[in-house]
Amino acid sequence: MQNTHGSERHAMNKRLRNALKGLTSPDSERRRRAMEPFVRATFETFIRYLYRYLGNEIECEDVLEDVYADIWEKPDHLRNIINERQLLRTVYLYYMRKRLREVYRRINHNLCLSQKNLMNLIAPELGVLEILSQSELQQALHRMLSRLKARERRAIELWMEGASNRAIANELKTTVGAVKMLEFRTMLKLKKMLHEYYGEN
Amino acid sequence: MPETNREIQELLVDYAETLRDGSIPVFLKSLTHDEAKKIAIHREFWDATEVVQTLNGAGFADKAAIPNVGLFISRVDAEIASRLKQAKAAPRNKRNTRTKPATKVEKSTEEQI
Repeated sequence: MQNTHGSERHAMNKRLRNALKGLTSPDSERRRRAMEPFVRATFETFIRYLYRYLGNEIECEDVLEDVYADIWEKPDHLRNIINERQLLRTVYLYYMRKRLREVYRRINHNLCLSQKNLMNLIAPELGVLEILSQSELQQALHRMLSRLKARERRAIELWMEGASNRAIANELKTTVGAVKMLEFRTMLKLKKMLHEYYGEN
Repeated sequence: MPETNREIQELLVDYAETLRDGSIPVFLKSLTHDEAKKIAIHREFWDATEVVQTLNGAGFADKAAIPNVGLFISRVDAEIASRLKQAKAAPRNKRNTRTKPATKVEKSTEEQI
């Protein structure tokens, strides 16, 4: 599911289109045969997408295994899909969210967080940022980061490189508390900028 | 995360850190009742989590080790096979439960005779 530019942006390749046709067949054996090309065409995109919410490859794989089996069992939502963006959106809404909700269900009774807030954290509603593709997101982020103040940008870049708050504080010659506040404010600023970017595009 | 009664910005940063490190349960379990309430009412927290998730997707998903798709396909196929098996077994079980009362009646009448 590689992204291309220009007029055919997000259009589906022939292989994926054929796999989808097989997947929506009423014959379960045909659907099973169509699963292999479908997984090959979508696996990387789906696993990277799930990574946003889990940050852990093993859990992403476990969730995705159930997602594909659910698609095989009830493929109705995948009829009339015309492009990759719609496919990702539909798979997230009807298949991934359901499975994401189940990931931390087992630890739920020990938590202070309400069920509703837990769900919002783990499997949020589809916002505008969720429907941007990986390449669009990276493009947008690159642009947004360049518009931040030097200190804000450095804090986010270091965070994205995997630095701890202590390391970021040392680098910026400030306290951990100040770094946390800086990161929080910068995230809110980025959210505003990303929404503006989405509106423009 | 030994701190208790964290401010909203600290909660957000701690969430971001655990998401980045793939250990969200650590954050979830660290929350106290007061912190959970704080999260529930702060719209800014939810706005920022959207960006954190986006950054996680854009910044770290590329670095994540993508597993072998061939091996993964066999896992999916095994899951489908298991669901097929369950689906085939389910109607038989229903039939069995339906016939049970009849056999019980037969047995009890035989016993009476």
